[in-house]
Amino acid sequence: MPAFFTVDPHGGSPIYRQLTEQIKRAIAIGALLPEERLPTVKALAHELKLNPNTVARVYRDLEREGFIATAAGRGSFVRRNGVVGEARRAAATVAGTQIDAAVREARSLGLTHGEVRELADGSIARWFPEDAQERPS
Amino acid sequence: MITISSLTKRYKDVLAVDDVSLEVPDGSVCGLLGRNGAGKTTTFKCLLGFARPDAGAVRFDGAPLAPKTFERLGYVPERAQLYPWMTVAQHVEVVRRSQPRFDEARTRELLATFRLPAKRVAKKLSKGQQTALALTVALATNPSLLVLDEPASGLDPVLQRAVLDILIDAASSGATVLMSSHQIGQIDRAADRVAIMRDGKIVLAGEIDDLRAAAKIVEGTFEGGVPELSGLSGVVRIECSGTMLRAYANGGHEPIVARFDALGARGVRVLDRSLEDLFLDAVSDEGALR
Repeated sequence: MPAFFTVDPHGGSPIYRQLTEQIKRAIAIGALLPEERLPTVKALAHELKLNPNTVARVYRDLEREGFIATAAGRGSFVRRNGVVGEARRAAATVAGTQIDAAVREARSLGLTHGEVRELADGSIARWFPEDAQERPS
Repeated sequence: MITISSLTKRYKDVLAVDDVSLEVPDGSVCGLLGRNGAGKTTTFKCLLGFARPDAGAVRFDGAPLAPKTFERLGYVPERAQLYPWMTVAQHVEVVRRSQPRFDEARTRELLATFRLPAKRVAKKLSKGQQTALALTVALATNPSLLVLDEPASGLDPVLQRAVLDILIDAASSGATVLMSSHQIGQIDRAADRVAIMRDGKIVLAGEIDDLRAAAKIVEGTFEGGVPELSGLSGVVRIECSGTMLRAYANGGHEPIVARFDALGARGVRVLDRSLEDLFLDAVSDEGALR
């Protein structure tokens, strides 16, 4: 297995969504490389103790979203997609979902546009210190 | 494929199974859930011809139950039906002699997995070992149709995992499985669809992921008092606690979130629901979700 995946049936979101997110994340961090072969549906179902139809559905969704490709008789592979690459797109998808949820939560808690932007800027400054030094605001 | 159409079974005054229809496609594992007495075992009995339904029909791969169906059908009843005086090895020997599709290697594998003592007679086996022997006998022919009533009862957690493996591998090989279980975590992993029974009826059925994707709780706080949410489609139940409101959605929670936002709700969250939540709702006495 090229990466570790775990699903929690009792955990929040539906199993197929948990697994889809984890495979995207594995692509994003390079645990699954472009053109790397994914385990077969049967092997991953066995490994994770999941119904194979659930795993097949995850692969179908990832294929539809363009992250992986399936060739008859050769199994499923991470797609290599031009300059941007699937890794960056996967990273943007995973991070984008979380940023969106955080901003929605902040607004819902009653923070203003300005306050949310201030918080975001604070986080960006903390996690991208090198950029902050280059471009002091 | 297993197809149950409008199955009804009455015992005197009790409608044990009430107009049950259910389809389990090839390669699918369907979990039949319900409290004790909901009608699961009676459904299995009608399915296997041990009870004569008052109405309705059961089909395996499109054909009614016939002697040759048993060539590819594996069945584990609620209480393992074993010969108390026969040893484990003798039970296997019966299958070897009577079933043309007996798979020697597979059987040896199952006996080793379950660590069944070959020379012990069935009545001296523990409850879990009896279940394991019934499973071994049922699986010894690599059946493409599996009907399992509580296949993990009495098994320790390690062997429950082993049963999970067996079911998943069977489904991977294209087998059709209909199983009941009180282990919802096991159903959640092994099954791709469920049917939940209550008082002889199926009250909720479908693909687990679809059911879970549809069922959400939208939560928010309304400082100026909880508003009227009537006319909002997809809301199956509403709960209030002070200024906090929870709307139980079934299908399309986005419009509900939008309405919450439009009404000035604070702290709006969308909560997921587990299969166990859905099960408890479906069989609860309030019945608000039905």
